Amino acid sequence: MMPTTTYLPPFWMLVENHAGELLRYARRLVGDDAEDIVQEAFLRGLRSYPALRHGDHLRAWLFRITTTTAFDHSGKRREIPVADLTGETYEHSYDNGAFESIIESLSDANRDALRLRFVEDLAYDDIASKLGCSPAAARRRVSTAIGSLRERLT
Amino acid sequence: MSPSTEFLDRLASAAVAEGLTDVTYEFVSTPIGELLVATTEQGVCRVAFQQEDPSGVLEELADTIGGRVVRSATETQQIRDALVAYLEGDPADLVFPVDFSLMHSSFRRTVLQHLRKVGRGHVVTYGELARRAGSPRAARAVGTACATNPVPLIVPCHRVLPSSGGVGKYGGGPDRKVFLLELEGALGA
Repeated sequence: MMPTTTYLPPFWMLVENHAGELLRYARRLVGDDAEDIVQEAFLRGLRSYPALRHGDHLRAWLFRITTTTAFDHSGKRREIPVADLTGETYEHSYDNGAFESIIESLSDANRDALRLRFVEDLAYDDIASKLGCSPAAARRRVSTAIGSLRERLT
Repeated sequence: MSPSTEFLDRLASAAVAEGLTDVTYEFVSTPIGELLVATTEQGVCRVAFQQEDPSGVLEELADTIGGRVVRSATETQQIRDALVAYLEGDPADLVFPVDFSLMHSSFRRTVLQHLRKVGRGHVVTYGELARRAGSPRAARAVGTACATNPVPLIVPCHRVLPSSGGVGKYGGGPDRKVFLLELEGALGA
């Protein structure tokens, strides 16, 4: 994937631009604990921010961190120490594959849709053309995937 | 569900408590308009006037000092209160440590360090400041140092005047320079 930018924005710009949608997402996953989860997700983001090598797809990055944080808090997955967050590949560099391990159990179709959303940061129209389905179907698959994650959290 | 002020405050406090910030910043309303104030552990690193684009200011801080730029009212409280008091006429000096990270040229830093010693109610010409900085012929470069001062008010570049008369240029605009000089009683009636 071609980097579209190399520059890391001021972190608070990410907070202002994405806190709202991350809180909505976390509420779907964990209900009333959403604020705690998103706060911890942003703190994790801050901890690894200096190690990021470019500023691509940071929104998707935050969605993945929020997902793994929700799982860590539910005790469904062991937290990975920050010191180990030195992976080389772009997709896994922030969490050593923690997100991938969480979505592993989803059906192929739903997992692919979620990955296009939370790793590649694509809009539903683009997810649809990649998957060869309608945008509505793409949205449904992502939504179903999130619903399955939620079920595993409760 | 947009983030509440409490959520943002809690996040900022947690980030500060854990030492996860490179820069903290906040806005403050003053008699000369809204200012953006940014600090690091070393001191005040940026004061920006209203007409400067805040996104651009924050991006420069992220690029130069570090990306962990966090908005925190608490961390910037003291300096913001002092700026408001000063601009409302309180005679106390603005004595805060300064972080000159945004100022790359060592000559310009030297100029600003000498300028800090020019007290309230006093003014100095560009040429005189050049002499004090050890480069008497560098008045023009002193002008550049003042024009690129990242921490106006804290380092009082408004106290530098052209020898040809008038108040000269000012990053915040000549009207603000006149306001500040009048506030400090440095302009003859």
